[in-house]
Amino acid sequence: MRCYDDNDEVDFAIVGTGAGGGTLACKLAESGFSVVAFDAGPFWRPLDDCASDERYQSGLFWTDERITGGADPVELGSNNSGRGVGGSTVHYTMIALRWRPEWFKCKSTLGYGRDWPISFEELEPYYEEAEEALKIAGPLKYPWGRRRRRYPYREHPVNSAGLVLARGCEAIGVKWSPLPLATLSAPRGMAHPCVYRGFCAYGCSTNAKQSVLVTFIPRALKAGAEVRDLAMVGRIEMGKDGKASGLLYHRQGKWRRQKARHVVVAGYAIETPRLLLNSECREFPDGLCNENGLVGTHIMIHSGPGVWGYMDEEVRQYRAPPCMAVTEHWNYDDSGKDFHGGYAFMSQGPLAVGWAQDTAVQRKMWGMKLREEMTRYNHVAGLRIVGETEPQRHNRIELADEKDQYGLAIPRMTFGYSENDRKLMKHSIGSMKSVLEGAGAKELWVDDDTSHLMGGCRMGGDPSESVVNKDGRSWSISNLWVCDGSLFPTSGGVNPSLTIQANALRIGDRIKDMAARGEL
Amino acid sequence: MLAPRQPEPSRRPLVPVGLAVVSAAAGIGLLVQRAVRKPRDPKLAAAQAFGAGAAVLCFSVALDSAIEHYRGSFKDRLMFAGPTMATLGLATTAWIAFRPQDARKTLPRVALGAVGLTGLVGLGFHAYNILKRPGELSALNIFYAAPFGAPAALTLAGLYGVIAGEMLSDREYVRTRLPRHAAALIGFSLLGTVAEAGILHFRGAFQDPFMYAPVTVPPLAAVAIGAAALSPRAAEVAEPLLKATALLGIAGPMFHAYGIHRNMGGWSNWSQMILQGPPLPAPPAFLGISIAGLGLLPLLEKQPE
Amino acid sequence: MSEFRTPYPDYNVLDKWDSPSWNAQTRAVVDTRLNQVPQRRFLTTEQWSLLQAICNRLIPQPDREEDPVPIVPWIDDMLHENHGPGYRYADMPPMRDAWRQGLDAIAAEAHNRHGKLFEALSPEKQDALLIDVQENRVDRRYWGELPAGGFFLHHLLKDVVGIYYSHPAAWSEIGYGGPAGPRGYARIGFDEHDPWEAKEVDPADA
Repeated sequence: MRCYDDNDEVDFAIVGTGAGGGTLACKLAESGFSVVAFDAGPFWRPLDDCASDERYQSGLFWTDERITGGADPVELGSNNSGRGVGGSTVHYTMIALRWRPEWFKCKSTLGYGRDWPISFEELEPYYEEAEEALKIAGPLKYPWGRRRRRYPYREHPVNSAGLVLARGCEAIGVKWSPLPLATLSAPRGMAHPCVYRGFCAYGCSTNAKQSVLVTFIPRALKAGAEVRDLAMVGRIEMGKDGKASGLLYHRQGKWRRQKARHVVVAGYAIETPRLLLNSECREFPDGLCNENGLVGTHIMIHSGPGVWGYMDEEVRQYRAPPCMAVTEHWNYDDSGKDFHGGYAFMSQGPLAVGWAQDTAVQRKMWGMKLREEMTRYNHVAGLRIVGETEPQRHNRIELADEKDQYGLAIPRMTFGYSENDRKLMKHSIGSMKSVLEGAGAKELWVDDDTSHLMGGCRMGGDPSESVVNKDGRSWSISNLWVCDGSLFPTSGGVNPSLTIQANALRIGDRIKDMAARGEL
Repeated sequence: MLAPRQPEPSRRPLVPVGLAVVSAAAGIGLLVQRAVRKPRDPKLAAAQAFGAGAAVLCFSVALDSAIEHYRGSFKDRLMFAGPTMATLGLATTAWIAFRPQDARKTLPRVALGAVGLTGLVGLGFHAYNILKRPGELSALNIFYAAPFGAPAALTLAGLYGVIAGEMLSDREYVRTRLPRHAAALIGFSLLGTVAEAGILHFRGAFQDPFMYAPVTVPPLAAVAIGAAALSPRAAEVAEPLLKATALLGIAGPMFHAYGIHRNMGGWSNWSQMILQGPPLPAPPAFLGISIAGLGLLPLLEKQPE
Repeated sequence: MSEFRTPYPDYNVLDKWDSPSWNAQTRAVVDTRLNQVPQRRFLTTEQWSLLQAICNRLIPQPDREEDPVPIVPWIDDMLHENHGPGYRYADMPPMRDAWRQGLDAIAAEAHNRHGKLFEALSPEKQDALLIDVQENRVDRRYWGELPAGGFFLHHLLKDVVGIYYSHPAAWSEIGYGGPAGPRGYARIGFDEHDPWEAKEVDPADA
């Protein structure tokens, strides 16, 4: 790997190597720019490092202290925050879904939310590029969305947990589909196809999962980029000319400075606003890109109520990727809704520790009762939604008074559902119940969860209403960019990673074009 | 400074391995061809070829159905019928291959009839297995449920064995029309096997370029032998194509062994990979069909236009 | 206290220790968990003893009197290393403070209600107290700013259960496949399992 000196003024210093940062690092390096991509966590080696153990693999998650509050505080850590090269794509469940096209213009076409400054059509070729780069294993015909090219690899077999969703959907007359997944269904280069081990959310030791770590990062390295791991970026340094001059980062016990012509922040929806706020200086006393006070605001998650039940048959849901089947019926069919927005739901497959904790904490079950209930684990099946939530200004990331081990102010997240969010969740519980009953599940119960993080540095067309423009470029600091899930003005009803990656590819292309035209 | 040491998805030596496998298969094929003593009488030779071809088909089905039905945990007790009848078929057709003159006897014909019938019943079961799942006749089930056409190989083996016996008769039908009909059957057999391999290689996204082999060469052989049914002069073209198809039948298991090696844990993970990996005993179906086809060519050439 | 019965009496996940279902990293991790149970380094002896009694109610192990799955040492280890989950709720103090305050508060509740140590109470009284903590029916004097229910659910119960079900004995009793790499699962459908998985024994047949 090519290594740059701190005093080399590289073209792009990228903070974070996840779905946004890692993908962009690849695109920029392959376009001929010099790139150093920083990550607070380690450079994982899946075949060497991963054990089949939930507790041990907690090293994959962001475990520095954060505070979560508000009316509906969101669980962080292993729920939605990765730490390491590849970011959350190292522990995500590989769901690779495109957005419903209308969502990009939800305000003008569907009457709610906020229009994105880009359209589906602009992103479409990049969705295709991302799917090809990740060799998404998907069905020949996906029932929703626009006509599209065939997925690069064929779908996986659907496990029993997924077939519960399938049976239930067929029973109530709603379409379902095997999920398009970013894990291999056939060999690719040196990588092995999935062996249906089921530990996807704790690191893929098979190396079948097409995380950013094993796809875009190797390409970036080959094109001359450097990935600097175990490097916590503490501040973006500003020059006298009002532009960013580089990064202050902590590595191997010391603070160091890397010079850069451009800085891209890609730390995901908590760390990106945190870094911009922590980089406050005399010229920018409220933090960078924050003249309109929007940095950290309009944070969204996906709501995730779930419904569970017991099947007569053995399900053993922990085999194979946790989510193998999906219905997006309620993302595309708005009839009968008393709310805006959509949700999809997927079959589930939690492992033993996660399941035990959910059972105990959510159902307030302990003692012998818990041990006995847990012996029915092999018969459980469930569904959980990815539910759209509204962007609300008071849902936000702020700096707390506390400092972490680096002396940096830690983030505090505040979140609360809106009325609309709650109506959506209630409706979804009814849908999931119908599907599970249709599949023959008994003794149904409901639990709660959330997934993903979006927003905090939303992009837009108007500098007074957005943090960055449609290319992720700061309105006030021309060499400061954001490229991750914090760009999202709305949350949509599907997992965000593919959209984050497609958007990163698009931004990479835009940067390349602007450089060619001297607009950089 | 932690340097990245993990193997990224880069390249495996697919082409050198493929070429090595094809050469090895060609070597084996030539050796076997030299070792086999063909009867002088073309009718006897054809009977032997059909017997040998059927034996190879039975061998392939016996192993393949045993492994796949084991994967299905023999949930339905009738699943034992597949490998059992295929083994019976193997014994019967091997007998015919060694003593083609016995092909007309009643015992082998009855056994082969039962074997062929089992294949037909198997087709029904496999169809039901696909249709009973959510999605019914969907790509997902065609990829992963019971492979629809696989039991047909048993029916074909039964038919080939019966044809072997018919070859020895003096009936006018046998002298004038059976060779042509048998050629059409060979063509049809090849296309069916191409479809099976094609579906599974398509499921594997043709990630190794050699996966195109069974969907390019055998269809040409099928067309050639089909043409030979109509015009005996096409038999000349059919011969090298059938030999190439036979070669694929020998190379296939070697390629599949490499495929198992390429999966997680390779051969040390055989308890998983024999089931998940590409099926080792499936490709010899091409060999069996080609042996029968090649044995038919001398008879076809002698047919009037 | 009822006897515990598992539908998988003949199954032991550790039988697969040398099989392709376990890799070297996993063996190292589980070996540590089984054989390198840490000593007390963070909790006081009183807190340790109290926590042990609480664990006996949260996860009773009457079927393992000689060799129970250790839980308290790992909580002590977690607190000693300050290895938290990566967040805390806004109304909770940092992890170590929450545990110290919470345990001391439970001890105080026991003393206030019954004049005894929690450990000395009958199981029924212990359960009743724990349910009250879970439901926030507590004396504010002992808890201060610490939400009792929040501490009970998000720290005490969650961590105790998490540690218990990280132990191979727990995997075996629930028929869980356990570690699965490099060998994954060949059969992933209804009512089917690989030969190396647990076989469910119908209680009628047991």
